Amino acid sequence: MSYIEFKDVCKEYKMGEITIKALDKTNFRIEKGELVVIVGPSGAGKTTALNILGGMDTVTSGEVLVDGKKVSELKNKKLIQYRREDIGFVFQFYNLVQNLTAIENVELATQICKDSLEPLEVMKKVGLEDRINNFPSQLSGGEQQRVAIARAIAKNPKLLLCDEPTGALDYKTGKQILKLLQDTARKENMTVLIITHNGAIAPMADKIIQFKNGKAEKITKNENPKPVEEIEW
Amino acid sequence: MKVKKALLKDSVKEIKVGYKRFISILLMALLGVGFFAGLRATSPDMVNTIDTYFKEQNVYDIEVLSTLGLTDEDITALENIENVENVYGTYSNDGLVKLENKENVVKILAIDDVNNPRLISGNMPQNSNECVVEEEFLNLIEKQIGDTVSIELGEDETSSEDEETKPFLKETNLKIVGTVQSPIYISREKGTSQLGAGKIDSYIYVPKDNIQSEAYTEIYITLENREKYETGSNRYNKYVEEVKQNIENIKEEREQARYQSLIDEANQKISEAEEEFNTQKQEGESKLQEARNTIESSKAQITQAENEVIQNEKSMNSQFSEAEKQLKNAKEVLNKNEAEYTAQKAELETTFTQAEEQKQSLQNTLNEIVVNLQTVEEKYNLVLEQLKKPDLSETEKSILEKAKAELETNKQQLETGKAQTEAGIQTIENQVTEGRNQLASAEAQIESGKKQIQSQEKTLNSKKASAKSQIESAKAKIEESKKELEAGEAELAQSEAEFQSKIQEAEGKLIDAKEEVNKIENPTWYILDRSDNAGYSSFIQDTESIENLSIVFPIVFFAIAVLVSLTSMTRMVEEERQEIGTLKALGYNTFHIVFKYILYASLACIIGAIIGMNIGFQLLPRIIWSMYEMMYTMPSIIVSFNYENAMLGLSIIYICIVGATIYAILREAKSVPATLLRPKSPKLGKRVLLERVTFIWKRLNFSHKVTVRNIFRYKKRFLMTIIGIFGCTSLILAGFGLKDSISKILPYQYENIFQYDMQVALKTTLTDEQRQNAITNLKENEKITDVVESKILSETAQNGENEEDVQIVIPESKEEIKKVINIIDLETEEKIECNQEGVIITDKLSELIDVKVGDTIKIKDSDGNEKEVKITNIAENYISHYIYMSKEYYENLYQEQYNTNVLFVKDNNLTEDEEEEISKEIIAKNEVSTISLTSNVLKTLDDTMNSLNYVVVILIVSAGLLAFVVLYNLSNVNISERIRELATIKVLGFYDREVYSYITRETILLTIIGIILGLIGGYFLNFYIIGTCEIDMLRFVKVIDPLSYLYAILITAVFSIIVNIFTYFALKKIDMISSLKSVE
Repeated sequence: MSYIEFKDVCKEYKMGEITIKALDKTNFRIEKGELVVIVGPSGAGKTTALNILGGMDTVTSGEVLVDGKKVSELKNKKLIQYRREDIGFVFQFYNLVQNLTAIENVELATQICKDSLEPLEVMKKVGLEDRINNFPSQLSGGEQQRVAIARAIAKNPKLLLCDEPTGALDYKTGKQILKLLQDTARKENMTVLIITHNGAIAPMADKIIQFKNGKAEKITKNENPKPVEEIEW
Repeated sequence: MKVKKALLKDSVKEIKVGYKRFISILLMALLGVGFFAGLRATSPDMVNTIDTYFKEQNVYDIEVLSTLGLTDEDITALENIENVENVYGTYSNDGLVKLENKENVVKILAIDDVNNPRLISGNMPQNSNECVVEEEFLNLIEKQIGDTVSIELGEDETSSEDEETKPFLKETNLKIVGTVQSPIYISREKGTSQLGAGKIDSYIYVPKDNIQSEAYTEIYITLENREKYETGSNRYNKYVEEVKQNIENIKEEREQARYQSLIDEANQKISEAEEEFNTQKQEGESKLQEARNTIESSKAQITQAENEVIQNEKSMNSQFSEAEKQLKNAKEVLNKNEAEYTAQKAELETTFTQAEEQKQSLQNTLNEIVVNLQTVEEKYNLVLEQLKKPDLSETEKSILEKAKAELETNKQQLETGKAQTEAGIQTIENQVTEGRNQLASAEAQIESGKKQIQSQEKTLNSKKASAKSQIESAKAKIEESKKELEAGEAELAQSEAEFQSKIQEAEGKLIDAKEEVNKIENPTWYILDRSDNAGYSSFIQDTESIENLSIVFPIVFFAIAVLVSLTSMTRMVEEERQEIGTLKALGYNTFHIVFKYILYASLACIIGAIIGMNIGFQLLPRIIWSMYEMMYTMPSIIVSFNYENAMLGLSIIYICIVGATIYAILREAKSVPATLLRPKSPKLGKRVLLERVTFIWKRLNFSHKVTVRNIFRYKKRFLMTIIGIFGCTSLILAGFGLKDSISKILPYQYENIFQYDMQVALKTTLTDEQRQNAITNLKENEKITDVVESKILSETAQNGENEEDVQIVIPESKEEIKKVINIIDLETEEKIECNQEGVIITDKLSELIDVKVGDTIKIKDSDGNEKEVKITNIAENYISHYIYMSKEYYENLYQEQYNTNVLFVKDNNLTEDEEEEISKEIIAKNEVSTISLTSNVLKTLDDTMNSLNYVVVILIVSAGLLAFVVLYNLSNVNISERIRELATIKVLGFYDREVYSYITRETILLTIIGIILGLIGGYFLNFYIIGTCEIDMLRFVKVIDPLSYLYAILITAVFSIIVNIFTYFALKKIDMISSLKSVE
C-alpha cells in the first residue's frame, strides 16, 4: 500500500444546470518521501486533485488515502485537523498575512501544530534568518515564497503541496525555490507535490504525473532525478 | 445611450450580487431617515393633533377673567374688537364631591358653544339636573353613567359683595348621563382651588340653565380666520398677541365700568339698606318709646294709686283717730262716771255699811228683842204654864199674873221695840235698796255707756280693719303693678339693649358694607391665552422637548450612516478596481464610471429612506404618543406624512451616503487605468506603537499581537466599530439611566424627603376648638406615632415671566416638621429649617422660574394677591414644587393669624389595609376634609412613571438596531476585505472556532473599547436627555444605577454576540479555493 493513494476519484462541480467534471476517475499513487511533479494544461484537474489531497476540497466519489487515512471520508473538524497536522501548502501568490512579519507568518502556522518545528530554525533553513522581522511587503517575491515554504514546512507536515510555486517568480528565483523544495524533500524525507504547467522542471521529480481532462493520464517514475541546478528551461 | 444602458444593467446586476452591501446601505438609510423623520414628525404631529382637537371643540383663543366677574357690556365691548369672531360669556365654579374618605374638588363648567367637551360615552345632558363628567372621575367616585352625584358648593368667598349669594347650581344632585374629555383640561394637573385639598381633581359639565350667577365668571374669545393658524405656531401666537393688545386697550375702561357699576349697585343697595335700616331703627325706636311710655304711665298710675292709698290711709287714720278720740272721750266720761259712781258707790257702800251696821245693830237689837221676846215669851209661856198649873198659887198666880202682866208688858214693849226696830230695819233696808237701786241704775247707766263704747269701739275696730285690709289690698295691688312695671322695665331694658345691639350690628354691617364698597378694588382683568392653560402649555412644552430630542438622535444615526456607507462603498470600489480600470481603459469617462456607483448608492439610499420615512412617520409618533397618552386625555394622535421632514431626511441621508460614495469612488477613479488594473497592493503591514513598548509586547501572546496589529491596520473600521458600539452602549445606558432617574424619584421624595404616611387636610371652617379636638384625637390614636401641624397654601410663584404652581408649607413648629419632612439644602446637603429672613424653595422651582438664593420672588394666591418673599435656601425635591416658610414669617407677611389646615401623620408601620381603615376612621370625623395616603400617592405616581419606560424601550430598540446594522455591516466588510487572509489561515488548518476568534478577537476588543467609551458617553447623554425631557413637575434624580451600567454592557454584548454568530457562519462559508485562486 502506497503512502498516498487516489482511487477512482471523481469531482463534479455544478454550475447552474451544467455539471463539470473536474476529476474523472483519477488514480495515482505516491510513496513516502517522493518528490512528485504534476504537470498538465489548465483545467486538467491538477489543482482540484491537489485541493482534494490537501483537504481543501471533497470528492464526489472515489477514495483518497494518505498514510492509511481515508481523507475522502473526513468531514468538518477532522478534515481541518488533517489540514492542520498533515498538510503544508505553498501557493503561487504566497498568501502571506500582510500584517505579520516573516517569522510571525511562520508562527501563525506553528502555533496550531503539535509537532511543529522551531520557526527560527526553519527560517534559517530557507535562508532568511536575516529577514525574519520584515513584513511581507518588505520582501521580494522569492523571499516571500520562501517564507511561505517555511510556513508550510514548519508545521512538519506529512505532505507538502505546492501549487505553481514559481508561477509568479522569475527564472532565477523560481529555481532557488524549486531547489529549496527538492532539498526539503531529500533532507527531511518529506513527500512533496508540485503542480506546474512547466513540464521542463519535471526531471527534478521522483515521479511525474501528467494530467489531462481530469485524469492522471501518465505516471512516470524517474529513477534518476536531476538536481534543480542542472535543469534549464 | 447604449453605454448607459449597459452600465444600468451592470448596476442592477451589482445589486443582485452584492445584495448584502446594498441592504446594509438601505438599512442605514432606513434607520437614519426613519428615526429622523419619525422623531421630527412627532412634535408637529402632536401639535397638529391638539390643533385639530382644539379646532373641532371650538377652543378659545383668548380668555378674559376678571376679579369681579364680567358682564354683557363687556361682551359687547369685546365683540367690537378687531379680529374677534365670537365672544362667549360663561360660568364655572368649584364644588366638592364627597366620598367615604376623600373630598374631591371638581370644577363645575357650563356647557356652552365654546370649549366643547368631547363626548366619550353616553350623551350630553338634556335636562338641568343632568351632567357629564370626566371618564376618570367615574372611577374616582366609583360611579357609573346613570348614577347620581351630589355636588356640594363651597362657600362662595369670591363674590362677597353679593349678600344674598344664590347657590351657583340650582340642582346639586346631578344625574351622570355621559363621560367627556374637556379640551381645556387635558392634563392631570387641573389647577388650584379654594376648596378641599386645594387642587382640582376633576371637572363636571352642567347645562347652563342649572347655573345661577350674577356675572359671567369668564369670557372666551375665538378669533376670526383662526383655522388658518396652527396653535402654538409663532404666527398664531403673534396673531393672538395682537388681539390681546387690543383687548388690553379697552381693559381699563371696562374695568372702570365694571367697578362703577358694581359700586353703584352696591351703593344703591347700601342706601336701600340704609333706608331700611333707618326706618327699621325708627320703628324700633318708636316701639321702644311706646313701651317706655306705657311703662311711664303705668308708673304714674302706680304712684297715683300709691298716693291715693296713702291719702286714704291718712284720712282714714285721721277719721279713726277722731273716732278713737271721741271714744276715748266717751270712755273718759264713762270712766269719770264710773269713778264717780264708784266713789258714790263706795260712799253708798259706806252708807250701806253704816246702814247695814245700823241694820245690824237694829237686827242685833231686834235679835235681842227677839231673844228677849223669846225669853219673855218663854218666861211668859212658862208663866202661862205655871198659871195653868192648877196647884198654882194665886200669889204665885198673881205673882205669876203680875209676872204675866209684867211679862206681857215687857212683851208688848218688846213687840213694839221689835216693830220699831223692824221698821227701822225696814227703813234702812228701803234706804239701802233705794241706794242700791240708785247705784244699780247708775251702774246700768255706766254699763250701757260702757257697752255703747264697746260697740262703738268694735265698729271702729271693724271699720279700721276693713279700711286696713282695703289699704293693704290696694297696697298689694300697687306692689303687684310695681313688680309688673319692674318686669316691664327690665323687658324694656332688654329689648332696648337688644335693639341697641341689633342696631349696632346692622350699623356695623352697613359700615362694613360701606367699607366693602370702598374696598371694591378696581377689578382686574386677566387677559389670558391658551398658553396660560396648564395642560396646553405643558403639552406644548413636551412637544418642544421631543423636538429637542429629535435633533440629537438622528445625528447619531446619520453619522453612523455616513460611516457605514463610506466603508461599504469604499470596499465596493476597491473590489471593483479592475472593472473601473477596464472601463477607464475602454474610454468611459469618470462620470460614467461614477454613475454606476451613484446609482447603486442612490437606489439603496432612496428605497431605504422611503421605507424608513413611512415606517418612521407611522411608528415613532404613535410610540411616543402612547407614552404621553398616560399624561394627557386627548383624542389619539393624527399621524401624517410630513413632506418637509421627509424631504429633509432624504436629502440629508442622500448627501451623506452618495457623498460618501462619490468620495470613495473619486479617490480610486482618478488613478490611471494601469494602476487600477494592477491589483491594489494590500494594506501594508506595519509595526504598531505598542511594539516599541517591549515589556508589554513581549507579554502578549502571538494571537494577541496579531489582533493588536490588525486593529491598528484597519483604522476606519476600528473607528466605526467603536463609534457604533459607543452609540449603542450610550443609548442603552441613557435609556436605563433615564429609567433609574425616574424610578428613584419616588423613593427619594417619599422616603428621603417626605416621611409622613398620610396627609390629613382639615376643613377650612373649623373653630380653634374643633381644630384642637381633631388634633388631639389623632394624637391619641395609638396607631399613630406623630402628628405634625402645618399650614399648606396652594399658590403661584412668579419671577418675571415665569410662573409655577407651588404648595407653600408653613409648619407650626420648625422642630416638629423635621419628624416628617427632611428639608435638605441642595448645596450643603445638610438639613435646614425655616427661618425668619425668607423662604426655602425647592430646586426645580428655582430652575424653572430662574432664581437663586438671595433673589426675591412673588407669590400669588388665586385671587391675584401678590406677596414678595426672599429666597434663603434651595432645597432638594423631586416631585412638584414647594415653598417652606416659617410661621413667624407667614404671620408677618400675610398679617394673618396662623391656622393649621394640614396634619402630617406618621403611623406605626401599618399595612396598607390598616392604613385604609384608619383613614376611614379619621375621615368619619367632621373636622377632616381629605386624607391622602402616601401609599396611594405612590401607586398613582408609579403608573405615571411607568409610562416613561417607553422612552427606555425606544432607546434600547434603536440602540440595538444601530448596533446590529453597524456591526453586521462592519463584519461583512471585514470578511470581504480580508477574505484571502482568512482563507489562508483556514488552509493552514485553523479550526472554525479559531478562525472565528482570530477575527472576532479584534471585534471583541473594539467592542470593549466602544462599550467603555459608550458608558462615558451614555452618562452624559443621559443628562442631556434628562435635561430635555424632564417634566416640569418632576426633578429627575441624576443617578445611574450600577446595574444599569451592567445592563448596558450586557445588552450591547448580546447585540454584538448576535452579529458575531452571523460572522461565525459567514466565516465558515468562506470558500478557501476560490478565495485563494483569485488575484487581488
